[in-house]
Amino acid sequence: MTVSPPDIQIAARERARHPEHGAPVSQYDDVWLVIPAYNEGQVIADVVEGARKTFPNIVVVDDGSADDSAKHIMSTGAHLVRHPVNLGQGAALQTGLAYALAQNGAQYFATFDADGQHQTADVEKMVALLRTGEVDVVLGSRFIEQNGQVPWIKRVVLRTAATVSPTARKLKLTDSHNGLRVLNREAAGRLRITMNGMAHASEIVSFLAGADLRVAELPVDILYTDYSRAKGQSLINGVNIIFDISLRERGRR
Amino acid sequence: MNYFWIQLVLIVGAVSLAFMFIRRWDRANTRAWKRIAFSVFVIANIYAILRPSDVTWVAHKFGVGRGTDLVLYVMVLAMGFLTLNTFLRFRSLEKKLTDLARTVAINEGSRLNEERFDLDLPVSVPVKSNGA
Repeated sequence: MTVSPPDIQIAARERARHPEHGAPVSQYDDVWLVIPAYNEGQVIADVVEGARKTFPNIVVVDDGSADDSAKHIMSTGAHLVRHPVNLGQGAALQTGLAYALAQNGAQYFATFDADGQHQTADVEKMVALLRTGEVDVVLGSRFIEQNGQVPWIKRVVLRTAATVSPTARKLKLTDSHNGLRVLNREAAGRLRITMNGMAHASEIVSFLAGADLRVAELPVDILYTDYSRAKGQSLINGVNIIFDISLRERGRR
Repeated sequence: MNYFWIQLVLIVGAVSLAFMFIRRWDRANTRAWKRIAFSVFVIANIYAILRPSDVTWVAHKFGVGRGTDLVLYVMVLAMGFLTLNTFLRFRSLEKKLTDLARTVAINEGSRLNEERFDLDLPVSVPVKSNGA
């Protein structure tokens, strides 16, 4: 078990008590937020508690962090799953989805970033669209509406990625690398992320293109704070992603 | 000089490299071939050390000027196989490691979260004592 003083545990239990016992049942009881976290100790507790105001069910996958992320997560009411070693964001997402799928009553699964750049209001919109039953997967997009938050160089690269990727084109996506997604049970149960690193975003898109799932995009707001900018994907890492993906395509058994 | 034979050998080598990448290999079979290749390599090595001039003779037969050049060409191919083999091995290991770590993480996590959230448990949860 993780080292954590008893008082923190009790506090966590007090907080967890509310959504699950006694307090009015949230309309989002069937939604699980999956948050992969790697060395996010600074912000993770605030992000989780912020999200828990709306979504009672959250699982944070601590991807073998070297910092005290686990301790901070333990102080919140979120479920904690810890990779014993660092495996990468794709692996963490898959683990979180597997964990959430095993929980009672879980119907909708949202992938959410740990650095606080995603808004729960967007997740609510996406869940509402899923609840209509017309789509199986809703992806967030930064580019449906021009909101000027995305740095221009990043915009150019991401738009290019969405335009040249055959799978993203097939689905008519405007943003193939958005971390905010909501899947229904069927889609989440069929998804198998095998790219452990950052190439999982492209892998998810190609899975969606290959599966007969109905996919929609909704505009989302991304808060580019100094923290998320510093933690976020550098553009040079795009080279790694392209490489991983092309190897995967060729190396497929 | 006629380059035909060496060109054929090098092209066949390169193509089989590509095949090795795409094809699904039968484990035992591949391993047997790798071992045969290794034995041949060792024997050829010893032979080349004992009779260096024969390598040049073989090289001439293949249309290569010097024995050294032939050795170099073969080495490039062998290096390619080695790299690919290592890459494939690493990838399969990584997959196993991921599956293992995921199972451990989910099992541990279920236990831990049950303990953290289950109200029926007494408040004095067993915490690993580190002074606290």
